[in-house]
Amino acid sequence: MEFAILTDEISSRSAALAPAAGELSWRSFLGRLVLAIKSFWAIVLTGALPDEVVQRLGLARRGQAKAAPAAAQAGPAEGALQMLGILQRDARLIDFLMEDIAAYSDDQVGAAVRSVHQQCREALNRYVQLAPVIDGVEGTFTKLAGVELAAVKLVGNVPPQPPPGGVLRHRGWRGVKVDLPPLGAKASLSVVAPAEIEIE
Amino acid sequence: MDSRYVIGIDLGTTNCALAYADTAAMGDDPAMPPVSVLGIAQLVHPGEVRAEPLLPSALLLPGPADFPAGSLELPWDGADGQVIGRLAQRRGAELAGKLVSSAKSWLCHAGVDRTAPILPWSAAPGVNRLSPVEASRRYLEYLRQAWDHAMPETPFASQQVLVTVPASFDAVARDLTQRAAEQAGYRQVTLLEEPQAAFYAWIERHPGWREQVAVSDLILVVDIGGGTTDFTLIAVTERAGELALERVAVGDHILLGGDNMDLALARLVESELAQTGRKLDAVQLQSLWYNCRVAKEKLLDPESGADEEPVTILGRGSGLVGGVIKAKLKRADAVRVLLDGFFPEVSSQEEPRRARRAALQEIGLPYAADPAVTRHLAQFLRQQASQAEHGAVRRGASGLATPTHVLFNGGVLHAPLVRERLMAVLNSWLAAEGAAPARLLAGEDLMHAVARGAAYYGLARRGKGVRIRGGVPRTYYVGIESSLPAVPGLPNPLKALTVAPFGMEEGTQARVPGPEFGLTVGEPAEFRFFSSASRKNDEIGALIEEVGEEIQELSPIEVTLPASEGGGPMTPVTLETVVTETGVLQLWCVARDGRRWKLEFNVRERIA
Repeated sequence: MEFAILTDEISSRSAALAPAAGELSWRSFLGRLVLAIKSFWAIVLTGALPDEVVQRLGLARRGQAKAAPAAAQAGPAEGALQMLGILQRDARLIDFLMEDIAAYSDDQVGAAVRSVHQQCREALNRYVQLAPVIDGVEGTFTKLAGVELAAVKLVGNVPPQPPPGGVLRHRGWRGVKVDLPPLGAKASLSVVAPAEIEIE
Repeated sequence: MDSRYVIGIDLGTTNCALAYADTAAMGDDPAMPPVSVLGIAQLVHPGEVRAEPLLPSALLLPGPADFPAGSLELPWDGADGQVIGRLAQRRGAELAGKLVSSAKSWLCHAGVDRTAPILPWSAAPGVNRLSPVEASRRYLEYLRQAWDHAMPETPFASQQVLVTVPASFDAVARDLTQRAAEQAGYRQVTLLEEPQAAFYAWIERHPGWREQVAVSDLILVVDIGGGTTDFTLIAVTERAGELALERVAVGDHILLGGDNMDLALARLVESELAQTGRKLDAVQLQSLWYNCRVAKEKLLDPESGADEEPVTILGRGSGLVGGVIKAKLKRADAVRVLLDGFFPEVSSQEEPRRARRAALQEIGLPYAADPAVTRHLAQFLRQQASQAEHGAVRRGASGLATPTHVLFNGGVLHAPLVRERLMAVLNSWLAAEGAAPARLLAGEDLMHAVARGAAYYGLARRGKGVRIRGGVPRTYYVGIESSLPAVPGLPNPLKALTVAPFGMEEGTQARVPGPEFGLTVGEPAEFRFFSSASRKNDEIGALIEEVGEEIQELSPIEVTLPASEGGGPMTPVTLETVVTETGVLQLWCVARDGRRWKLEFNVRERIA
């Protein structure tokens, strides 16, 4: 038991088992040694590797469903880039938006837009569930009672107190659910679309 | 004990599907439990796993540089070095030479060694090829893993499993499929013919089916999959006062399917573009192929009044609008290429043409020489003209089989114009025979019917549903060289000994009456092996003097008798035929003292 306490202390000091490149770390060696000793005793005494070692070595226990790869914590920037990446991958939206289309005929642009539009729509429907803020008919009178005011923009002749209702000009959009796949390696996230090189 | 689930697997040329019936949900209700389709978890993009109703039969063998590290993780272990499913199909279009596709078509190609690593046929350097059997094994293993992931409480290996094969698969291809399933860890696997499965799916959807057919009706099942076309006739008979079903005929193997049709349309548009000086690369061709399929479906919908559909291929580089290629698929062209090319109006007397059409050839695979499905159908119906004792069917004035009902299966037959054309051609033949027009049975969910029907059949085997009687779908022979003096330059005349008669039922065995063979112990003995889909009257033991065109040669079968102590150098044996409960044909050599040896297919042998 004393042994286990000692090793815990040492391994916590050598938290990073893989040292930065170029740094010849005795600590990392020590860490590995400790891990090896720990594993040795655990196998001798209990017949199995301790959970901590399994986790640290990135192993999965046989016969046990592999845990889903831990999703990297996505900040707003990562989420935005990921969504752009998807729209580019499935519909080539970025190519379309970044291209100078002034020189092309409406006919040519129209042909491309049909394809981009349809695929954007499919991608959007797959990963993001959108719904109108107010599910009413545009151009008709709509009561404001029970409507979350922060999600409504009042335009026109707006009185100081919120009015009972008005004419619905735009139904608005609300993201009901976002179902993006888990993020991969962080380094690749800034790549919205990879460059393509063909080997001939 | 019976397993809780019955699993039906459609191992398709271009897509696989898995359906299952839950017997625990059945209770005391005599009605069949509902059959569900399993969403198959698969990589759809690098790093993105999603469950989809179909698993594309595409297997990619990526190199280390083809995907970002760690982006090919599956929710389960043991799939390293390969990608199966939607991502393989997508990325495979960009990585020619690393994609294995149409493995199933290779499985029944007697011209190659199907256990040798030959796929991808034109492999990129550094790619470790797979055999067609190994590729099939990997699809089947993948489906097992997907099930175990989705249903961890009820392991796949302890469920009853049915795997479908084309009715036209010969005994060798069935044996290879069975072998692939066993190597994939399948324990209780039974094979079922796809057109029968489609018919079971119809029965499952129509519990009142007995109202729709009557005794002596004849049902034609036309199954046009991605890569194969399959015909089957099912007769409605009577047994103990109840309606019974009997599969009375299956067609020859026709390597022709929906993929060929879409490709023909894409080639048409491509050649039009080529005339204006536009060349497409592999990725653009793939997109053209896909867009042509979508445009075709729109044009062939009778509701649509459009005379043409735009087919747009976006520019390849980041110049998307500037590089856009616009083409049009005209309705008249689609009708000409599809209906007149693949479903022409022909008389019932026409033979499929034999000349090869270069446009349909992919290197390696022996595609059907004649793309006209209607001519193949005419030949199939005419083959039933002989006065068959087994598999007797209703026939018209000229002897043509005259179906009363038609069931369609396969994605191509979604298109109403195609269905209408096929029915019109068939009914014109029936009218000439003095028979009433055939009625179309409404099939639904043509993409999953085979898997659903297979699950239903698994229940039927437990006595919980109607079962189609069928047995061996062909007559099988072994070759016997006659003992005439050899004529230089000519092979010895060959006779064929009937070893398995048409319709020999599952779970039966029979000794082949006739000659004893003297086999040399310790040396492999080889028999030439033949089959016929049209000769249905040959009884077991019957010797056919002349091996004509209606009898086709398959891979040879061989056995090596071990040398035994005290035995002589020659052992006299007789042949015995066994059809297992799971529908596999086996031939055994039986010695006088009762020792038995199983004959194995030798698929390594090459047949010209």
